[in-house]
Amino acid sequence: MKVSLFVTCLIDIFQTDVGLDTVELLERLGCEVDFPEMQTCCGQPAYNSGYVDKAKESMKHMINVFEHSEYVVTPSGSCGTMFREYPHVFKGDPVWEPRAQKLADKTYELTQFIVDVLGVEDVGAKLNGKATYHTSCHMTRLLGVKEAPMKLLNKVDGLEMKPLPHNYNCCGFGGTFSVKMSEISEQMVDEKVQSVEDSGAEILVGADCGCLMNIGGRIDRKGKPIKVMHIASVLNSR
Amino acid sequence: MMAAGQVYNRNSFLDNLAKNLGRERRHQVERPEWDHNPQWGVLKGATQDELVEVLKKQCLLIHTDVHETVSSELPALITHLIKEYGGKSVVTWDDPRFEEFGLSGLPKELNEEEIAVRVWDQEGGEENLAFSATADIGITFSDATLAESGTVVLFSDKGKGRAVSLLPVIYFAIIPKSTIVPRMTQVAKHIHNKVENGELVPSCVNFISGPSNSADIEMNLIVGVHGPVRATYIIVDDK
Amino acid sequence: MAMKIGEKPFKERVSDGIGDLFMRGAVSSAQGRFRSGRLNAAEELGNWEDWRKLGEEIRTHTIENLDYYLELLSENVTKRGGHVFFAETAEEANEYITNVVKKNNGKKVVKSKSMVTEEINMNEALENAGCEVIESDLGEWILQVDDHDPPSHIVTPALHKNKEQIRDVFRDKLGYDKTEKPEELALFAREKLREEFLQADIGITGCNFAIAESGTISLVTNEGNARMVTTIPKTQITVMGMERIVPTWEEMEVLVSLLTRAAVGQKLTSYITALTGPKQVGEVDGPEEFHLVIVDNGRSKILGTAFQSILHCIRCAACINVCPVYRHVGGHSYGSIYPGPVGAVLTPLLGGYDEYKELPYASTLCAACTEACPVKIPLHEHLLRHRQGIVEKEGKAPVFENISMKAFSMGTASPSMYNIGSRLAPKALGAFVKDDKISDGPGPLKNWTEIRDFPAPKKDRFRDLYKKRKKERGE
Repeated sequence: MKVSLFVTCLIDIFQTDVGLDTVELLERLGCEVDFPEMQTCCGQPAYNSGYVDKAKESMKHMINVFEHSEYVVTPSGSCGTMFREYPHVFKGDPVWEPRAQKLADKTYELTQFIVDVLGVEDVGAKLNGKATYHTSCHMTRLLGVKEAPMKLLNKVDGLEMKPLPHNYNCCGFGGTFSVKMSEISEQMVDEKVQSVEDSGAEILVGADCGCLMNIGGRIDRKGKPIKVMHIASVLNSR
Repeated sequence: MMAAGQVYNRNSFLDNLAKNLGRERRHQVERPEWDHNPQWGVLKGATQDELVEVLKKQCLLIHTDVHETVSSELPALITHLIKEYGGKSVVTWDDPRFEEFGLSGLPKELNEEEIAVRVWDQEGGEENLAFSATADIGITFSDATLAESGTVVLFSDKGKGRAVSLLPVIYFAIIPKSTIVPRMTQVAKHIHNKVENGELVPSCVNFISGPSNSADIEMNLIVGVHGPVRATYIIVDDK
Repeated sequence: MAMKIGEKPFKERVSDGIGDLFMRGAVSSAQGRFRSGRLNAAEELGNWEDWRKLGEEIRTHTIENLDYYLELLSENVTKRGGHVFFAETAEEANEYITNVVKKNNGKKVVKSKSMVTEEINMNEALENAGCEVIESDLGEWILQVDDHDPPSHIVTPALHKNKEQIRDVFRDKLGYDKTEKPEELALFAREKLREEFLQADIGITGCNFAIAESGTISLVTNEGNARMVTTIPKTQITVMGMERIVPTWEEMEVLVSLLTRAAVGQKLTSYITALTGPKQVGEVDGPEEFHLVIVDNGRSKILGTAFQSILHCIRCAACINVCPVYRHVGGHSYGSIYPGPVGAVLTPLLGGYDEYKELPYASTLCAACTEACPVKIPLHEHLLRHRQGIVEKEGKAPVFENISMKAFSMGTASPSMYNIGSRLAPKALGAFVKDDKISDGPGPLKNWTEIRDFPAPKKDRFRDLYKKRKKERGE
């Protein structure tokens, strides 16, 4: 199966390992992965700040970049949600709405792709430790991916999954919210860190780099002994 | 029939709405058939006995006592309950069902026990309110009863004052078993049909589910605020 | 009290909220209870999504035909002897209400809970006209006794106060001498307010849903105060926001079912009271005179815009009860009697961006609100739409943000610009990196690093590593 990787800008610049883990994981599952080099960002930072016209420029570019892909897979629930939103953004545009729809229809978040398209739940990963999973908001509420990550994580050999109390709470990232409303964001991320601690986990797993940067950055700052891992890296552990 | 009321500022107000909605005023609109109608599926096909069980279970949640009896035992049960609750003054509706269910002797019987009874009196004006405001117990029949929510529905009328179920400390509702329906849906439909047939809707329809309560202080449930502090339902088999 | 509460700027209000640990504890535990109540009530039905879709259908149809249904409502109210006043502004509404009260020689007015009367500042208008106005909802009454402390929640207005505070207010203002037990506090209120009800000559209510087909107004309460207000006084005035209407009893029933479940997790509240006109000839209790005041006050400006669905709101507060921002900052931070997500959408529409431009940003767009809304209002999308309006139409965005978004657009719409930008990132931030992280960042990053560490940009980007990998594998 041919898969185009949409790696997201956060992974491209900050979390390069997650990108490599995603490639290796997909290849191990029999996919032929390509990385369209012209890709940039999905436009979400501008879109969510109200700069819709400016965001549309990035969106059009991304529609072009992935025009000929069979499947587009991304290790981010939030960026995947943004691609799925494109038709809504271009609603009524005779040229771009149908093209946006085509991209939306073939875009999958990584775990969603593995479980729903590849039909795999046990990826043969092995990792020892107690872990808990952060259900990121866009991925669960907007993309509707709720079960797939847990199905995959439950099959990881050696990994003991602990429930995360109040897992439905937002971590306080919210893109520019984290700097614009930093005082509120701080309260929210503290609450999340507390929940992670209360879960008894040693590893916090998530499927969105934004949330993980936020929670992980706070965990580091507070010097908590909790490791933060992207789900792609967990699933690529052997 | 009373004189029609006045309407002020209507046309300019509604013209502005239509303008903002980007069209002319609409004077005829068909209410559509809704695509989803889950309300009719609730307790669908339940028997009357099953509805009684649902009602009883719900009453546990809404802090409401339930007693079941048959017509012939009803007067004795009511007398017993009034005494058990320590009621010294009782107000009831003036409703033909009191006689149908053998309760017309109740005032006399209670008076003999030194319990004051007032039957709502449409000629009595404010005295009805004054009595109700200090009464221990108010008693009405239920005009319709909703199993799902543990609700008695009261249609106000000349002999059926609003205050009887509101001002006394304790409220008794007598529920003829035949009045029980699954939920509010059936009663709403019934009233809607009356409206369609040009019948008058009662000036006050109360859907009452247990005693009054509040959660306004630290989200603690307080039972008994402005309305009755206790509610008791008496289900009577009227077959 | 008008819609606006407090004079402090947004940031100070937020800091005050965050600093109020009692309030936050109260809000947090209340949210927990509301949440489980709502979820249990929804689960019991089994097909909550169908109920929500029905709610959405009903609200969409009704608001699209609002002029028709309001006309029908007013016709039916007058047929039953009631009077209807259409008020485009708060001033018009208050003037009419004050006149009705004066004409009836009203001295004592008892009120049941109503957000719209708060919004139009009705109490003050009546007090200026020499009337005594008494709130009878327990929460509202507590706030009124406490020198008009503003409400912080649309269903439980005194949510921010604890029982000790309430005891002290009662003691200082009313000579209360019992404990802080909620039952004792409530009994005290019952006795005090009972006297007021019996003496009042005017009753004023809000309206949950007016029923067009029969000219009926319905009130959804637990305490019984709305029944008091509509049973004892000789004159009843009901004030409704113009959107609070349904076509028939059948839709009222559905929306009440959604409201009570979404608001408090109850199948029905203790009292749903449906009132049609004044009392009938021969009836003893109930008002002799009935007035319905239908208020626009800025709502009509929302019709026909992309924000129209905010008028579908049934004021259940489910969005407020799930909002993590509300949990931490409390209701007063929103500077409006309408707090939380619904407030962040509605308040700027009614009160303008000049006063409320921060509110649409007081959200992570986590969409918990949208998920909770029983009539499927896309609340987080409306917040986004506000941001777009503020940036693009009003030009009210900060200059720095404007420039950085321009740069963003250039950098992401063109791969070569992205290439340069992302390659420069490690160098630009190099001076701030320590142990592979940034703990004290420059510019806007500072707001981030004051709270959390920021990862250092990698020397080799993923795209560089990918290329290398490909080469190594001889592809």
